[in-house]
Amino acid sequence: MTSLIQRSLPLAKTSTPALQFLRFRGKINIQRPKAPHYERARVVAVTQPKYPEAPKAKSCFKTRAERTQQQQENPYNEIIAREVRNWLDHSRLVAFFHLNSITADDIFRVRVQLHKQNLHLKSYGSKIIEQAVKNTRYEAIVPLFHSNNCIVFSPDPQKTAAMLRIVRRVPQMVLLGGIVEETILSRNQLVDYAQMPGLQAAQAQLVQTLNQAPGNLIQQLQAHQNSFVRVLNVHAKNQDKEETPEST
Amino acid sequence: MSVPFSGALRRSGGIVSAIGKQLKSVNLKGVKRITVQFDPFAENVKSTREFLFLLSTPKVAATNPKCVVKPEVVCDRQPANIKFALIDSAQEQAKVKEIRFNSDNLNTLELLQLCNKHVSSLAPREEITNKVLTKAEKQKLAGGAGGGKKATKKK
Repeated sequence: MTSLIQRSLPLAKTSTPALQFLRFRGKINIQRPKAPHYERARVVAVTQPKYPEAPKAKSCFKTRAERTQQQQENPYNEIIAREVRNWLDHSRLVAFFHLNSITADDIFRVRVQLHKQNLHLKSYGSKIIEQAVKNTRYEAIVPLFHSNNCIVFSPDPQKTAAMLRIVRRVPQMVLLGGIVEETILSRNQLVDYAQMPGLQAAQAQLVQTLNQAPGNLIQQLQAHQNSFVRVLNVHAKNQDKEETPEST
Repeated sequence: MSVPFSGALRRSGGIVSAIGKQLKSVNLKGVKRITVQFDPFAENVKSTREFLFLLSTPKVAATNPKCVVKPEVVCDRQPANIKFALIDSAQEQAKVKEIRFNSDNLNTLELLQLCNKHVSSLAPREEITNKVLTKAEKQKLAGGAGGGKKATKKK
């Protein structure tokens, strides 16, 4: 047993091969490689991989950069798109504006004024909005984002009038439309909505209208009694007047 | 058998630099009021909105501070249009009171080119009335009178 191990020991011995160090201290050359020998160059040329090119119909109108490089979409876009969806779902009032050329100072002032009313000014590009809103019920707002724009979100639809008042002082913001309580409104409709009284006032008006018809009926039924009471009142007043001059 | 050279020596900068070049020559001195009417939900309004934005830039607005650019938003899917109401001298020159562009099928560059062709050309030419002379120029003019300026200099 031991003799077997002893015989296999020399083979089991490991020895490192002779090492010849090529690089010593100095910087290695990568940028200007030596031109290969012709034979080597031939082998390299033959062994270069050939990739199949996409059919010309697809790549005909693309630029060279688009053809050769594959554009990867930034995953941050998806995060922002999700944020936009969130804002759209949780705001009961959304207003869309076209933004003309405006200084940062002025837009900041508007942002502060809106913030005091719990209105949030945001702006996103058309690509992100398309990603956020495609195949959802908000798809119709995409054409509003083709040019310079901004959006105002609010959780409270009663602030429409306040928002329009603030934005009226800013000539660079042009109201295009809005979404109120999940209904897309055009510009004129949004302005009309702002001028409508609040929900309670509208309900009171409705109650008043509903009560008008039966109120009319009651008035007609009680007409005779009311006129009789009025006549008696007048008569009583006259009697008092006659009594008081007589007593004096 | 050589073909004579034809074409451009420099490469063009693309549509953006073409728009920039047109913007530099926009002159609104002959216009009283510009009304840009569009329906934001209609198709083909992108060029109108871009044009509105470009007219609101400070450099273009500085050519005529009195000119008002009024955006009008309509809701009935009308095709977009841009109206330039001219000042009196421009009206006489052009023999029209108002110039209207139907911008539904025009892109931004074409709108600017048309604007330069029809509107900027109606700007009244400015004449230099008050030219302030520098000291050197004054001395040159008064040199013949024998150094008069130097003699009357304050102590």
